[in-house]
Amino acid sequence: MEKSPPVPLAELIREAQQGDARAQHALIVSYQRRIAGFIYAITGRSDSVEDLAQLVFIKMIRGLGGLHDVAQFEPWLFRLARNTCIDELRKLKLRRIFLPFAEEHAEVPEPPGAVDSEELDALRHALQQLPAKDRALLALAQEGRSQVEMAEAAGVSVMAVKARLHRAREKLRHHYRTHET
Amino acid sequence: MKPETEAWRQLEEHAAAQLRPGFAGRVLQAARTAQPTFLASLTVSAATAAVVLLAVVVAHQRATRAATDRNLADWRQLGHEARLSSQTP
Repeated sequence: MEKSPPVPLAELIREAQQGDARAQHALIVSYQRRIAGFIYAITGRSDSVEDLAQLVFIKMIRGLGGLHDVAQFEPWLFRLARNTCIDELRKLKLRRIFLPFAEEHAEVPEPPGAVDSEELDALRHALQQLPAKDRALLALAQEGRSQVEMAEAAGVSVMAVKARLHRAREKLRHHYRTHET
Repeated sequence: MKPETEAWRQLEEHAAAQLRPGFAGRVLQAARTAQPTFLASLTVSAATAAVVLLAVVVAHQRATRAATDRNLADWRQLGHEARLSSQTP
């Protein structure tokens, strides 16, 4: 049997916008890995990856109809993911203010075995030393988003993104090397 | 290749492994259930606003009525005292 050629992304998005469940499914499958990595880079918690990824994709399904330019899908999706993560971290912070005794539970490091290599451990450690917004910026850069898109996502100027990204990269490299040695 | 590049790849792999099989199906199911429409949200907001407004109006009316009753009682008392004082030689 001949295998059907993969549907181009733009077509898939249009079909998903029209409510085609198969296209929506395919869209989720093709982005779930990247979105999961993106979420983990920002939150640093394995146990919240699935819940947050689910939230991001639900928002994607519900908001797809409002996306006019199909070419803007990826920046839009990662902006959605970034904002969802930042909101979640903000909620956690608020929860810690009102439920201070829960702080120790929120700060519990991942159990041994959850992180399985030194490189990953070093990167995770280095990321956790940075503010959440810097982690989000680095994750967006890692996803190949342009500085203009990052500026839009963060709601700051391109110049500010440039400077913040440079500083965040320096800090990340420093903490990464310190942890590795 | 930067040393972190491999680490970023591993990070994505580790994160992707946290998604249980059938993830996309579960998302679609969750997206379909309990999806509030714009009209439903608007109705709930309007109903909440109406209840609050009604409560404010009722509370205001009660407060006004109580103040009026108090004032009338005071005036009645004053009138009674004035009458008494005018009758006394």
